[in-house]
Amino acid sequence: MSQNFRRDLNREFDAISGTPSPALSARVRSALEQGRPARTGPFWMAGLAAGLIAAIVVSVLVVSNLGRHTAIGPSLIPSPSPSPSAAATATPGATPSPSPAQTPPDSTLPAFVCAGPVSLAGTHTPAVAFVDAVRTGTHPGYDRVTIEFNNGEPANVDMSPHAGTTFTQGASGQQVTLQGSTGLLVIIHGADEHTAYSGSTDIKPGYSVLVELRQVEDFEGTVQWGLGLSKTACYREFFLTNPARLVIDIQNS
Amino acid sequence: MMSAVMEQRPSAMQRATEGDADSFAMLIDPLLNPAYRLAAVMLSDRMAAEDAVQEASVKAWRNLRQLRGDESSLRAWFLSIVANECRMTRRRRWWSVVKSAEVESERRSDAPSQEAVTDLRRAVARLSLDERLPLVLYFYLDLPLDEVARTLRVSPSAAKSRIYRAARRLRSDLTLEEVS
Repeated sequence: MSQNFRRDLNREFDAISGTPSPALSARVRSALEQGRPARTGPFWMAGLAAGLIAAIVVSVLVVSNLGRHTAIGPSLIPSPSPSPSAAATATPGATPSPSPAQTPPDSTLPAFVCAGPVSLAGTHTPAVAFVDAVRTGTHPGYDRVTIEFNNGEPANVDMSPHAGTTFTQGASGQQVTLQGSTGLLVIIHGADEHTAYSGSTDIKPGYSVLVELRQVEDFEGTVQWGLGLSKTACYREFFLTNPARLVIDIQNS
Repeated sequence: MMSAVMEQRPSAMQRATEGDADSFAMLIDPLLNPAYRLAAVMLSDRMAAEDAVQEASVKAWRNLRQLRGDESSLRAWFLSIVANECRMTRRRRWWSVVKSAEVESERRSDAPSQEAVTDLRRAVARLSLDERLPLVLYFYLDLPLDEVARTLRVSPSAAKSRIYRAARRLRSDLTLEEVS
């Protein structure tokens, strides 16, 4: 094989691929933590039994929820391209941002805000939106949390800065302290996270800014997640469709 | 030292098979760079490539029991999962816009003429996903032919034919003997 051909081809491939982000390894490690397969060995029978019990509980909840909720979300057929269905708006009376909101790279996305609460209203809203996945990822410029719903968008999502990383858990009133030095509180109204979601409720991605997120409430149609950040950062939230997803970006640069 | 490493690895594999995330992360960590490069060339989209690698890593871990052979088989097996993930990404309906990564325009003293680069770039862009795959594995990741074959899940002779056919689309005067 001509060495020139190999060299030229590899140069083209290099130009296409570049180098992976330094956070790829941490990102994969975090995804593995979230996507943990069932442990094997002497505990597999206990795991199987727990799974069966969980399946029965979920079935009962699904049946009871089918009776309560008649509104079903939009079709899950993927659209040609995902696009934000709604942009977060600063809540009236919110503290003015100490620094100007920054324009995101993609102009179709809402701008980052750096202080005060933001609020986001769902447009295709079932009575209760069922969370079925929570994912994290890090990208150049922002760390991202994606909360996916299997039947449409929740009614409303509020997000606000939180002093410190100690959050009070809904229902129990117990306090939990997350990793990091400051926090964000995400309140999802009209949602539940126990019908269709079986993933982790305490995720530690360990990104440069987003270091931990933990469910702090899942009670009476309200889901809350506390986000532990390594430093104060700007943030934004918006919905994507097909499937319905709440996207929370935290600036990391 | 080397023998200590050799003794540790099977146990890391065993622990990973039993569900230990750290062990599996340690095993695939050296494979993330080639996996990313494979995905980036297949998808021509760097962020989508990282997504594909992340997704493939989770799938690989979940299906680790299906891996035949020992750790030496891990790279080909993992890269085949990454390639499948790239195919799935491309099949999704929203992947309707042709994406192209930013092309670095580094010119070196030994670089070919801009015209030749442009021709090759266009030819690479015209390759299908399944044509790019053997070229990336063989030329870019420098995998031996038998490992290319295991990644493609074909025989070595069939792998060689695929490399040759794809390379011929880039350079028509290529001979089979040159693919060795």
